[in-house]
Order: sequence, then structure tokens, then C-alpha cells
Amino acid sequence: MKRNLTQALESWIAAGFRSIGQITITPQSNGGYELRHAEDLGREDLHLHTSADDARGLSFFDDANVYRPLKTAPTLRHGWRLLAGTAGELRAALDHFYPSMTALWLSYLEGKLPPVPLRETLGRQTGMYAATKRLLDDEGQELVGKACAASACTKRMLWPFSENQPLTQLPAEDLSCEPRVMADGSHQIPLLCHEACNILVAACREVVKKRERAQSPQPSAASPASH
Amino acid sequence: MLHKPESALIIVGHGSTVNPDSSAPTFDHAEAILRQGSFGEVHCAFWKEEPSLRQVLHMVDREDVYIVPNFISEGYFTRTVIPRELELTGPLTHRDGRLLKYCEPVGNHERMCELLLKRAAEVAPGVPTKDCSLLIVGHGTNLNDNSAFAAKREVDRIRDTGLYGEVFNTYMEEAPLVNEWDSYTTCPNVVVVPFFIADGLHSYQDIPVLLGIEQDTGLAASQRDIFRQNPYHLRGRTLYYASAIGTEPLFGELILDQAALFDRQHSNATLSA
Ligand code: SF4
Repeated sequence: MKRNLTQALESWIAAGFRSIGQITITPQSNGGYELRHAEDLGREDLHLHTSADDARGLSFFDDANVYRPLKTAPTLRHGWRLLAGTAGELRAALDHFYPSMTALWLSYLEGKLPPVPLRETLGRQTGMYAATKRLLDDEGQELVGKACAASACTKRMLWPFSENQPLTQLPAEDLSCEPRVMADGSHQIPLLCHEACNILVAACREVVKKRERAQSPQPSAASPASH
Repeated sequence: MLHKPESALIIVGHGSTVNPDSSAPTFDHAEAILRQGSFGEVHCAFWKEEPSLRQVLHMVDREDVYIVPNFISEGYFTRTVIPRELELTGPLTHRDGRLLKYCEPVGNHERMCELLLKRAAEVAPGVPTKDCSLLIVGHGTNLNDNSAFAAKREVDRIRDTGLYGEVFNTYMEEAPLVNEWDSYTTCPNVVVVPFFIADGLHSYQDIPVLLGIEQDTGLAASQRDIFRQNPYHLRGRTLYYASAIGTEPLFGELILDQAALFDRQHSNATLSA
């Protein structure tokens, strides 16, 4: 076992990393860690959780109990705090709140996170998503500018639109992998997107289908079921 | 019991961007397997949820990795999508100092019949099985998956046990149609078990509506009590509706068995090989 993400996580916290996404991580005197929504700092009325497995339920729904299929949407629910007794439990809890995000950060630091251009991701799709190969540059850039904006997803895009075309509709800070320094001087583990997610791929398909429907005077054949 | 502290297990599920219950059984089985200590690491990965198939290998510390699709049958996902997204070259893939072992989908397991019988017995306790028609609901033959074939195979196995008065495979989109259940069953009691991995759109919404036991409310199964109102009295029969077979806790054992089966079939699969 050459890699050890749990140890890496411990070393980041020792080096002053205290947050990831919307979550603040506070080391406890007993060696454990407390997690809570960063906007809940100072609140005394939080519901206490002591199992890393509880993070799954907490991560699945927002404050209005609406399902969050994209865990990096800026809609993490409030009102809880979770105590992780060990770094291993911290890792497990973060794997629910922000699946694979600490792992991708480690891979990035090791130089093992090659970004995949959107065109390449779309180019290998089959079945109902093969339609995304017909996405036009302009409509694609516009879609990414909305779907991947910080108001919709807090990951930072490492991937370009294509080999020779950068993303054009997003501010530079959404494309940088540098850890942010918070107001209190602590650091934040960045959430990285090295390849377009399935939600974006599905949205690309919608854009293509909508344009093609509008262009074709005939009603198009029914599309296959959503899978 | 399987004991592989130096190996990691990845359970692959479909997941959903609309239904929060879709990934729950996959996560549940992963938690149970991790607690029981059969593998040093257990992770889930999904096609439509996170972690994705493109992310999950980064989460794994270990170099010996078993990948078990939590799918009801072989098909488009197990043969095309999962190998493509994980960049597998066959049952065994050597990459970046790792050995990736692609196991058979859990639905192929020969104990599936036993699990279906267990679930059917639990949902209709005390009902004599001889007076009972058992329906196994599958999806159908679209999407070039083999779930219809797999459902038929399980029905044949159950029929061979002779336990139930009659047994049918039934589908949402092809004959014998699930909404016509009262036309081909003859027993006073009817037990319906969805042959699906999770209580997704099909088992919590489509099938209950087709059976006639539910109006379309659009709520997820976890937010309703569709499985707790048994039995239903309609069309002159007593009907018992079970939750999807994939929510059965014993599925975890089947997932482990698929990893063990891989070892038996590929006995010399080591990193130095
Ligand atoms: S493609 Fe990446 S940045 Fe865009 S929505 Fe998906 S996860 Fe977020």
C-alpha cells in the first residue's frame, strides 16, 4: 500500500487546512475532528452526529429536503455537527460530503490528475449520450458557463473545452487549483473537477436535443428512456 | 469468510440524479461489508452520482482492487459503460502499478433465487405459498440489457422448487404485462417482487401504479410507506408488494461471493504476474 490518503489528510490539517467546500474542520483536543457547515460556526443548537456514516444522510438533502445529486452544489444543509473520532473517520465522512475530493487533491499534488477536455469526454459517450458529440462550441461554452459556475457547483475546472480551446465563460478563480486562504489565515482544500460529470454530460445532451428539435420541422423519434 | 485486508473493493451502482433512494442499497451493502472487515477498503462508484467511475480509483489506497457491479444482469452497463469509464481491458487490468479485477454482476449469482424466495416469504408471512401466485417483475428487453432474460431464469428456478402455486415473470413494457396481473394469475394471493437493484422510479412509482395499488404521487419510496400497507385488496385478490430485491441485506454476501468467484476463476492473478 504505497498511497495513504488518511495520512495525507492528517498532514494537511497539521499544516493549517481547516475547511473543504462549505465545511469547517476543527481538530479536537482528544485527537478527533469536528465538522460543521461553515455558516454554523458559533451556533449552539446544532444536532450532534457521532458516526461518519451519518454524513451520507446529511449530504443527500438540502435545507428544504430537496435531493442533491451533485454533492459540490453550494447547498449543503445546515444545523448539524459531526464528530469524527479518528482521521480515518474524517476521511469516510468527507467521502460522503464531498465524494473523492480529498483523493483528487492528493492525486493533483502527486501530479497524477490529468484533466480530460470536455470534447474527449463527450467523444467517448455511447447510447443516449452519443448525441453530445454534436454539441456546438458556442452553446457548449455557454452551458459550462452556467452549469459549472460557482453558484451551481463549487468545484474548479481543470479541464479545457477541447485540446486547443480553453473555457471562456468562467472567471479565472473557478479555474485555479490553488488552495484558498481564508479570512482567519487557514487554508481550504480545493474541490477539483478533472473531468466533466455526468450531470454536465446530460445537460449537453439536452442542449443538442433542444436545438435539433427546434431545427427539425418533423417531430423527432422518441428518445430512449433516461439511463 | 473472505478476508482480504490488503485488497480494496469497489461496488459499482447506477445511481440517479432524481431519485435519492437509487444508490442507498449500494451504500448500505458497502457499509456492511466494511464493518465485517472482509476488505481493507470498500468504496462505491456510480454512473449518475458521485463518486463517479472517473473519480473512484483515486480514492483507493490499495493496489489489489476488486470491482463488483451491483447490477441485476449483464448488459450495456456491465459490458460497455463500466469497462469504458474505468478503462478496463478485460477481467484483469494492470495499470499504474495496480491490478483491477472486474467481477461478475451480483445479479448473476446463483443464490438470487434463494433471495427472491426469502423476500417473497417475508412480505406475505403466514400465507400458504401453494395458494399464492408469485410475480417477479423485470424491466423488459430494451437498452440491450439482459434483465428480462435474468428474470426469466430466476422464475424457472423458483418454479423448479415447486413451492409456489404458480410463478410468472412479468414486465413493465412487454408481455406478460405487470398491469394485467389479474388476467394470468389464478391464486387468491399474489406476491410481487421487483427484480431491481434499488427502489428507484420503477419499484416505487411505475410498478405500484401499474398494479393499481397506488396513485402517481411522485414521492420517493423513502418518503412514503408503500411497502408497509400490505396486503392490498383489489381485483378480487389479496396482493403483497415487496421492495426491490437489491435492498435485501444478503446482497452484501453475494457481492463478496462475486469477488471470491473471481479468485477461483483467475487463480494466478497477482501484481507480479
Ligand atoms: S462538470 Fe465539474 S464543475 Fe461542472 S457541474 Fe459537473 S462537477 Fe461541477
